[in-house]
Amino acid sequence: MVQKSWMYSVLEAVHYEMKQDPAMTWIFELTPPVASTPGKPVINLETEFGRERVVNTGIDENWMASAVLGAGLAGSKSATYIPYQGALMPLQVIQNVAGKLRHKTGGLAEMPVVWIIEMTGQTPGFGQQHSCYEEDSYYMHIPGVRTVIPSTPYDAKGMMHAALRSPDPVVYLYPAGLRTLTEEVPDEPYEVPLDKAAVRMEGNDLTIVSSGAGMPGVLEAAEVLTGEGMSVEVIDLRCLKEMDTDTIVTSVAKTKRLLTVDQSYYTLAPGAEVIARAAENVEGARFKRVAFPDAPPPASPEMFTWMRPNAEGIAGAARALV
Amino acid sequence: MTHDFNASPQVDEQETAFSESRRGFLKLAALTGAVVSTASSHALAAGDIGFLAKDLSDDKLTDMYRTILRIRWHERTQADQMLTNPDYRGYNHFYAGQEAVATGVCAALRNDGPFKQIDLVYSSHRPSGHAIAKGVDIPKMVAEMDFRATGMNGGYGAEMHISDPSVGFIGADGMIGPAPVIASGSAFAFRARKSDQVAVVFAGDGNYAAPHFHSTLNNAKMLNLPLIYVCENNLYHQYAHYSYSCPHKDIADAAGAYGIETAIVDGQDVIQVYNAAKAAVDRARAGQGPTFIEAKTYRYYNHWGAPGAKAGELGAFGYDPLAITSFRPEREVRAWMQRDPVDISRKILVDWGVLDDSRAAEIETEIKAEIADAFEWGLSQPLCTPEDGLRHVFAEGTVPARQFG
Repeated sequence: MVQKSWMYSVLEAVHYEMKQDPAMTWIFELTPPVASTPGKPVINLETEFGRERVVNTGIDENWMASAVLGAGLAGSKSATYIPYQGALMPLQVIQNVAGKLRHKTGGLAEMPVVWIIEMTGQTPGFGQQHSCYEEDSYYMHIPGVRTVIPSTPYDAKGMMHAALRSPDPVVYLYPAGLRTLTEEVPDEPYEVPLDKAAVRMEGNDLTIVSSGAGMPGVLEAAEVLTGEGMSVEVIDLRCLKEMDTDTIVTSVAKTKRLLTVDQSYYTLAPGAEVIARAAENVEGARFKRVAFPDAPPPASPEMFTWMRPNAEGIAGAARALV
Repeated sequence: MTHDFNASPQVDEQETAFSESRRGFLKLAALTGAVVSTASSHALAAGDIGFLAKDLSDDKLTDMYRTILRIRWHERTQADQMLTNPDYRGYNHFYAGQEAVATGVCAALRNDGPFKQIDLVYSSHRPSGHAIAKGVDIPKMVAEMDFRATGMNGGYGAEMHISDPSVGFIGADGMIGPAPVIASGSAFAFRARKSDQVAVVFAGDGNYAAPHFHSTLNNAKMLNLPLIYVCENNLYHQYAHYSYSCPHKDIADAAGAYGIETAIVDGQDVIQVYNAAKAAVDRARAGQGPTFIEAKTYRYYNHWGAPGAKAGELGAFGYDPLAITSFRPEREVRAWMQRDPVDISRKILVDWGVLDDSRAAEIETEIKAEIADAFEWGLSQPLCTPEDGLRHVFAEGTVPARQFG
């Protein structure tokens, strides 16, 4: 199998679905749908499918988000790539229209649409508006919209196939900091389900639950802790709505200790929901949360890198819990 | 006072010479400036003679020249830092090439005095020129852009978020869209409290496509607000030509549809910009409502940072690796650089007998030294304390650290 980058894996899925379905459309504004990986053909959706189906818009995320919904309602599978600068501009149409549409039409509305919403939070120096990592909490709160956040190129491709084939509207969060990841990814289409967490490491002493851009730091910390003799179970949520409660509860019932890790702000970060579900279902467990403080990310790299959860902080919190 | 500088016959000849429409449009836009300076078919109008600017004192005109130079040398010095100093961490969305716009507009504003009397400026993600023209402390801005604790905003904001309300610079905004609408809210407050202040927003051509553009103009007109919307049409939003997102050659046509007074000016000529801005400010102060000024201009660097630039040289050329499918032809950059706002302002002042060439050169030497000092001071300032990231969330106190569990 060929090593593929994140974006190559995602666009490979999109490319396949667009070839299968001549009605499918793609809208972008800043990030051209272009990806390459050594030993594979360059993917360029714009040149391959033309500007009738693949549209480069102005800086108008409200239109992008609404247009794919309209395309979906008209029976065309449709996806858009919203860069992190405009990641919450689509909130209104997703929250107050798409999320409620199936319900309010008594099940009549079909919405084969995907909003790929880029998140950042990785780059020191850009400051408040370009370093934030907070969209997970906002979007996962909305009923009627599936919100997923793959953390590996393999899952990114499989979840993109699943999202594009799903009759439900999907917010597909893309933590831009993971764009440098590569791994072996099959050329063939395959689906990764939109409602299952992944157990990345098995252990008995402690469960660590994270998602998206939190995962690399968690895996690094887990390796350090394993070296110290701790038996760590690591769960990658992958799906924020609907959240895979069973996998969380099964693990915490075994370890009785749960540490959640989020790059998002502490209040209502995904980990808060994870702990609530574990607490409801497991007797006698202990909990701890690592998250970005309830402060906007400052530009100063000194401040920002201290505030962002990292492997060292995660390992410290794990030791305190076990 | 609409000055239509596409009316000249030379333009039409150029336009028909290119078969593919967007390509022709793009080249036409590059040529627009040159056409303005050579067209002689129309009568003297607001933009072509001194008009309001001719009544300015020699000192004021010289100050405008100094401001243009301050912006230019700030940009060049910072670009050189980015290209040559591995310890330098700052960055910019460079404003070089557009200096006459910020300078001409801010020269028409009230920049000194109590906060509740001065005019307010809202900037974009390309803020350094607006900030300097409005009168911020340049050394503190330099420190801020390099994340220093003693910077203008304590190292919290950096380039895309610089702000100094004390001079009426409400500040930069890293997002496309919100600033014009918010600026209209300040204008609304001025009208409500019967102040003669005006609110100015600088926004690029990319803002046209955002819904905020239309909301701003509609409400400004409906409420007759003292708002000046300065559309800096530098032809590109991020990496795409504005023809990708706007059907109008002149974005001012869209503003006109909202019933707003419009002006199209040569953004490379500080006198033309000043004239349009002064007329707009006078109208706003007299309760006659908003004005939309479209300044045709160009940035010498790419959207962000200094890719394609060389230390010691002005401008960035060639392929921008960030652009991928849409990039600027080098000849377009060079064509615009032939009508440089620094050169134009110097020539006007020499023509008008305000300066001679040697005094103009002396002033440039003084400004270069001033900017060099600003960088020396700014880059020697202390770095931020990590724990301070928990401050300034609310007016008082700190929020708890959460990153250690």
